[in-house]
Amino acid sequence: MDTDIVFDSVTKRFGPTLAVDGLTATVLAGRVTAFLGPNGAGKTTTLRMLLGLVRPTSGQALVGGRRYVELDHPVRRVGAMLEATGFHPGRRAVDHLRVVSVAAGLDRGAPARVLEQVGLGEDGHRKVGQYSLGMRQRLGLATALLGDPPVLVLDEPANGLDPHGIRWLRGFLRGLAAEGRTVLVSSHLLQEIEQTADDVLLLAGGRLVRSGTLAELRGVGASASVVRSPDVTRLAEILADAGYPSTPALGDELLVPAPAQEVGRLAAEHGVVLHGLAEATQGLEDVFMGLTEVGR
Amino acid sequence: MTALVHAELLKLRSIAAGGWLLVATIVVVVLEALGFTLGATDGSGPGQAGDPHLLSQAVASASAGEIVLLVMGILAVTQELRFGTATSTFLVTPKRGHVVAAKMMAVALVGALFTLISVAIALPLSVWLVDVRAGSVLWERRVGEVLAGVVLVMVLYGPLGVAIGSLVRNQIAAVAGALTWLFLGEGALAGFLPKVEEWTPGGATASALQVGTWAGTDHVLPPWAGAALILAWAVLFAVLGARVTLRRDLV
Repeated sequence: MDTDIVFDSVTKRFGPTLAVDGLTATVLAGRVTAFLGPNGAGKTTTLRMLLGLVRPTSGQALVGGRRYVELDHPVRRVGAMLEATGFHPGRRAVDHLRVVSVAAGLDRGAPARVLEQVGLGEDGHRKVGQYSLGMRQRLGLATALLGDPPVLVLDEPANGLDPHGIRWLRGFLRGLAAEGRTVLVSSHLLQEIEQTADDVLLLAGGRLVRSGTLAELRGVGASASVVRSPDVTRLAEILADAGYPSTPALGDELLVPAPAQEVGRLAAEHGVVLHGLAEATQGLEDVFMGLTEVGR
Repeated sequence: MTALVHAELLKLRSIAAGGWLLVATIVVVVLEALGFTLGATDGSGPGQAGDPHLLSQAVASASAGEIVLLVMGILAVTQELRFGTATSTFLVTPKRGHVVAAKMMAVALVGALFTLISVAIALPLSVWLVDVRAGSVLWERRVGEVLAGVVLVMVLYGPLGVAIGSLVRNQIAAVAGALTWLFLGEGALAGFLPKVEEWTPGGATASALQVGTWAGTDHVLPPWAGAALILAWAVLFAVLGARVTLRRDLV
């Protein structure tokens, strides 16, 4: 059974705003794929297009080769948890799950099972209005798991979770992927998923700026450098022409996704004065910040 | 579709608002029955205490909850958008027209239940009040006709509300707009263009319930056609809603 997620030149325009710009990517089964990007990068819009809630301006997003709206039993195929998903505050959590369960034709035991799974077994009979943000996130996860789907799409599931909850979520997502499921999880905070993800899709300004395994992305960090020059504007142009889009850092510094010797060579070739040049000892966080800035 | 209707009924049952709407229905039915009979002036003209046909007019009070059902129908759609539950609803059922259809059927079933309760209250209450006020009760064919109209109107007003909610989407605009139209717009139209008003939802309701026929009002449509016209309006709004406004991106 094909459970890959494929984005094929997906574009979404809201009036004059280009929210997602020609996104093409594949999310593989059995792996946790982090969908990373700063707030406003277009992550939620992309996920909502995948789930048939937002209509792409062009291109298409497919699950197992089909559009979401064409799936026969969407809840059994794809479990989704979206940031803006609401709950009626006056409805008990278990009733919220029952509504979905009945509409999807799932077995009667499903709501109780998923409540246990996300650690809300004791609180299912409380009204959602009495829930904390973290509990609501867990209820969202429970809703996604109702149909025991092979594909999970989770939008910022760590929002509102305390450190204990984030640790729980990490193990939970790893467990789901270990069962062979496709897990696509979005986040604007790298450290949330750094220990969880296998693959990364990095989105900025509606564009895919990097995709690959987490290890590959870490590799980008190793070949980056920080350069200081009285003429950063010209240096930035030279570097960009050479295929290294740099990011302005503090003062007259640039963060360059290229090894120091390459930056030095280019500067010498063009006669640009340098005040400092060093291999960037970047964490993944810096790579993330650097790359997403470039995309803006 | 059966599963979807079940899910929609569960949605209505699992929040307190459902119970309050039933209480509201009972209250307006009782008030309407009391008001009509006790408010009848002395005399033997149409609608007066001595009118032998008073019962056939009084039992129309059983339809007083139609507005409550209309609001319930509107809320069934607009609350989903207001609280964001529309997301999970459309994730389960990506074909949004199916959701609208299921909601219409669910509120029609609730309407049938509310009708049963309304008639069970309004009929004996009206019989008793008419007996007290007029001293005699005339069981005529029209009592049954009006009650049949009550059933149809009550069952159809919920779906009409769902259709309006699908079309308008904004809760306050939908509720305020619908009530303003029924209470003010219809009246104004009836004043200026009475023949046109006969074809509006309110005019169709008046035909179905034979409002004013006892006083000589001649409706363009027979009662059954009035009910069919309410259904036609509901279907028209629902199709427009599902095809146009409800298709919009859910962000």
